[in-house]
Amino acid sequence: MSARCGWTSSPGSVCGDSAVRPEADAAIEQPSAGDGAGETTVLILGLGNDILTDDAVGLAVARAVRERLQDAQTVRVVDTEEMGLSLLDFIAGHRELIIVDAIQTGKAPPGTVHEMDGDALCLLPRISPHFLGIGEILTLGRQLGLTMPGRVKIFAIEVADPFTLGTSMTAPVALAVPEVVNRVVVWARSNAAAAASDHP
Amino acid sequence: MDPVAQQAFNQGNLRANAAYQMGRRRFTVDPITRLEGHGKIDIFLDDRGDVERAYLQVPELRGFEVFSIGRPAEDMPQITSRICGVCPTAHHMAATKALDDLYQVQPTPAGRKIRELVYNAFMLEDHALHVYVLGGPDFIVGPEAPKGERNIVGVINKVGVEVGKKVIAMRRRVRDIIAYFGGKVVHPVLGLPGGVSKACDPAELPKLQETAKDALDFALFTNQVFHDIVLKNSDYVKMITSDAYTHRTYYMGMVDERNRVNFYDGLLRVVDPNGKEFAKFPAQKYRDYVAEHVEPWSYMKFCYLKPLGWQGFDEGPKSSIYAVAPLARLNAADGMATPLAQKAAEEYFQTLGGKPVHHTLANHWARVIEMIQAGETMVNLLNDPDITSPEVRTVPTNKPSVGIGVVEAPRGLLFHHYETDDRGLIRKANMIVATQNNAARIAMSVERAAKGLIKAGNVTEGLLNKVEMAFRAYDPCLGCATHSLPGHLPLEVNIFNRRRELVRQLTQG
Repeated sequence: MSARCGWTSSPGSVCGDSAVRPEADAAIEQPSAGDGAGETTVLILGLGNDILTDDAVGLAVARAVRERLQDAQTVRVVDTEEMGLSLLDFIAGHRELIIVDAIQTGKAPPGTVHEMDGDALCLLPRISPHFLGIGEILTLGRQLGLTMPGRVKIFAIEVADPFTLGTSMTAPVALAVPEVVNRVVVWARSNAAAAASDHP
Repeated sequence: MDPVAQQAFNQGNLRANAAYQMGRRRFTVDPITRLEGHGKIDIFLDDRGDVERAYLQVPELRGFEVFSIGRPAEDMPQITSRICGVCPTAHHMAATKALDDLYQVQPTPAGRKIRELVYNAFMLEDHALHVYVLGGPDFIVGPEAPKGERNIVGVINKVGVEVGKKVIAMRRRVRDIIAYFGGKVVHPVLGLPGGVSKACDPAELPKLQETAKDALDFALFTNQVFHDIVLKNSDYVKMITSDAYTHRTYYMGMVDERNRVNFYDGLLRVVDPNGKEFAKFPAQKYRDYVAEHVEPWSYMKFCYLKPLGWQGFDEGPKSSIYAVAPLARLNAADGMATPLAQKAAEEYFQTLGGKPVHHTLANHWARVIEMIQAGETMVNLLNDPDITSPEVRTVPTNKPSVGIGVVEAPRGLLFHHYETDDRGLIRKANMIVATQNNAARIAMSVERAAKGLIKAGNVTEGLLNKVEMAFRAYDPCLGCATHSLPGHLPLEVNIFNRRRELVRQLTQG
């Protein structure tokens, strides 16, 4: 009955659109923008859909991570329901990329966290009718002369139901959120430090 | 849907889901894929090992009506735009128009024109995405090019990095128009019953006009690219017009008062396989013309022309199957609404042998022509004095009951239908998305491609590519067609022998 659903309370999307896009714009026009002063080096990108039950998990994790990393100046957290080419705007200009997303492999119980390195990304994957994979976006961005992340880390949470319209996650997936948040925070902090020392 | 059909649909749905779950034995852990679902093609062979039937299936999204019931109708433009990250603006606008109908209120001239401006901007950028990124690899790089090159990077290599940058930058500027009015591209907050939430600030006008002009130039440039790369290559033209990609069906599209293509509003016009007008009706009458057929093997609903009855997956004069989307829109209209687009359309029909054009792959060209119309329309609207009027909304005063709205989504007609109580809370909600309208013709295309490539049990190499080309031309939002989240679509083909035993499985990759 309630009219309240995810979209009424998603500050992250606002962040994604208002804070990041201008920077990405600059990156398109000036490929070296990523080296500018005051840039964030690490991007945490939470993907998903707030009204598709478990598909919200990547967004939920990103929002919680944002709370925990408020002091980390070089880390930017974006949660977005956009996909495909639109993600180029977010990703361009960062050196490190952390993706948090839902996945359904059917091989692990819901709530399992699959942790993968970007090496697992096939850079030019299958062509799909309506999608660009992260690997393709990275390759495309580099081709266009943009600063693109050199390292990619993926936290993919096994989900039970990403197909039913609904605003609450299933129990095992919701229970997994704090652990994923911890892992992402630890990874982001250590890599923000490493990235800073790699690129003084 | 009537109760009997609903019951049949539900039963079919259960069976198909069970079968699908059984069939989901093979998964690839691939983090880039956001595995929302598989596109699954089942091919059934006969005694001789030739193709008997081939079906395309995609997973479904559940619970749209349940989710909607009890919500204020005013929330629907926001809710439905969140269903799909690919065409949020189309859902937003169809829902907004359904609210106009629900409250029996006409938008003010400025309200309507701002909606049209945003909608044409969306059409242009979405089509550009398809032309360069999604469908582009098939033509710009070439259908026979190595798989590793048939992607956006291959397109950039072919057209040059500068053009690549232009595509990306132009698309963003056009999206900024949507964001200016709607706040956000992915979840616009623009449409209200009777108008829009934001007026156009006259101070912003010069910038918007410049973007519109550049967008039109970009559309014309894209037309040139298409000419240079596709039309000057006789092999491509031969392929476009080949029987393998041709179906003589009906076509449905929205037209203005002069029967010209309109993306935002108008009557729905249907032409028969000879191009003769078969029907013309307002959205509110859609249930008199559109019915949904359910097959036991699929949870997809296949739309057909209700007055003709379901005639099977057949084409020609006895068919009741119609298509939507660019090819269909150009066929169903007498012409384009703007001069440069009209000129381009005349060349299109002349080159492809007259009207109607039945070649599925011509969708790609028709899409470029529609980009021109969208660009010209944006320019016209931004030069219209009404556009900066602060009167952007008529406040509704009537009691709500039933509201039906329709727009031409980039991939074809999109219907939203809500029924509410007198407080405006949803009692019933339905939508027919573009790919559902096209589902039967897509099924025919997939089957045709499979038949050409499997003989006596032998599967020709390149099957997946050819099958994909057959349906990619429709720009299907496969997720959305089953009300699902669109995403990467790992295509899986299962080939069954006559005893319905799985004999071969191919995965695209």
